Amino acid sequence: MSTQTPDTKEETEESTTSTSPAQARRMEKKRRRAEERAEEAQAEAEAEAEEDTYHLKVFRYDPEVAGKQEPRFDDFHVPFEPGMTVLDALIYARDNYDPSLTFRHSCRQAVCGSDAMFVNGSQKLCCKTQLSDLQEPVRVEPLPHQEVVKDLVVDMQHFYEQMEAVEPYFQTDELPEGELEEQRQTRENREKIKMSTRCIWCGACMSSCNIAAGDNQYLGPAALNKAYRFYMDEREGEDVQQHRLEIIEQEHGVWRCQTQFSCTEVCPKDIPLTEHIQELKREAVKSNLKFW
Amino acid sequence: MWAWIFHKFTGWVLVGYLFTHISVLSTALSGDAAYTATIRTLEGLLLVRILEVGLLAVAVFHILNGIRLLMVDLGLGLETQDRSFYASLVLTGAIVVASVPTFLGGL
Amino acid sequence: MAEQYSSFQRGGTRWLLQRVTAAFLVVVLAFHFFLLHFVNHAYEVTFAQSAFRMEQLSYYSLMILFLVTATFHGVNGVYNALVNQGLEGPQKTAVKWVLIVGSVILVVQGIRTANAWAGYGFI
Repeated sequence: MSTQTPDTKEETEESTTSTSPAQARRMEKKRRRAEERAEEAQAEAEAEAEEDTYHLKVFRYDPEVAGKQEPRFDDFHVPFEPGMTVLDALIYARDNYDPSLTFRHSCRQAVCGSDAMFVNGSQKLCCKTQLSDLQEPVRVEPLPHQEVVKDLVVDMQHFYEQMEAVEPYFQTDELPEGELEEQRQTRENREKIKMSTRCIWCGACMSSCNIAAGDNQYLGPAALNKAYRFYMDEREGEDVQQHRLEIIEQEHGVWRCQTQFSCTEVCPKDIPLTEHIQELKREAVKSNLKFW
Repeated sequence: MWAWIFHKFTGWVLVGYLFTHISVLSTALSGDAAYTATIRTLEGLLLVRILEVGLLAVAVFHILNGIRLLMVDLGLGLETQDRSFYASLVLTGAIVVASVPTFLGGL
Repeated sequence: MAEQYSSFQRGGTRWLLQRVTAAFLVVVLAFHFFLLHFVNHAYEVTFAQSAFRMEQLSYYSLMILFLVTATFHGVNGVYNALVNQGLEGPQKTAVKWVLIVGSVILVVQGIRTANAWAGYGFI
């Protein structure tokens, strides 16, 4: 309706000659309406410019700062560039909008496992998640089922304890004959454990497991996968294997897994965690049955 | 995740039913008339009939998803495990709907 | 050496039994439902009809086995669900014994009922 503006101009010009009170009111109304329309047009233009931004809603919490002791969500509109990841967006928000935004990150190439978070309702590695794949507003929250230290940082201590509990290091009592001889592993054996070696200790799997959430003593998918990686390694001797089995066939070991499959779904390294745990269960059953 | 939740929920319902069922059946210990009268009275109530359809749904889902879990435990069909969950849901619905006339008959 | 013997009880037995009973129950529960809702109708049931079935030893034994299996599978399932929820310590022991006692009562009551139909002495 942009034709109205010149009309009002003409009409105001006309009215300068003879202004009745009613006419003056009508002129005033027209002028105001024209102003509103101009404002709307400007807002539309701004909104179009904003389509180049991505709207993030980020969880904020800080027990040491008054005003942040109640968890809340902050809105950030981050300028979008193709190929941008959630981590890029968070870093931009921290660098340009709020330097107190706290989160862990390091390698930004999905090998350190620092930036696992709860994005739009599921566990994801932020450096590996494309913004363009996500629906706005993008909700970024700390990993569930773990204590929040500040903003997006969770206490990973329990996770590390469960990992340590399965002795996540190579042990063998069977060394090769010669002094300088290598301990060899066949290609097939390496292939078998290949996927299980990819774990980056990010904690996404444990966070997604409902049993890990309820049962604090459950070793969890990451620890069990680690146990699998070594149990299935042919270079460790039978005694070590038996020892490993005894750790994971405790009540809160493999038996707590209910094949929920959430861990497999969220693992950023595509490790078939549930499958590995299932294999360990079968191993435990077979070893117990052989006893007779 | 939902498969696990439904399986647990239906499990609890079935255990609750098992205890109730044996209690109802044990009216047989008080003799012929007591037992027959109890069953006939219960079966005469529409609410009981509807609950029986619910029981069927719960039992059928638990059986079908249970078969899926047995396959997973044996290491079979792991690639399609999520689809087999949806299949159990659909099949449960189909069987329940098909059985409603039989269950509500003779009211 | 003694630890080797104790590894047998580490939750692996109940896990296996849960699967074995599951496989059995899939068949028998489906059969039971079919027999009592589709072949016969629940609303037509009489003491006499139930007695007729129970007097046959094969049916009687199947029903007793069905009861024991279902009770184990169900109660073990409940116990596991509670442990998954974080049940531990003295509460866990208490719950375990309550469940065991409840199961025994259930099975005994079921056998008594079956006996009443089959006309056996112990009711």
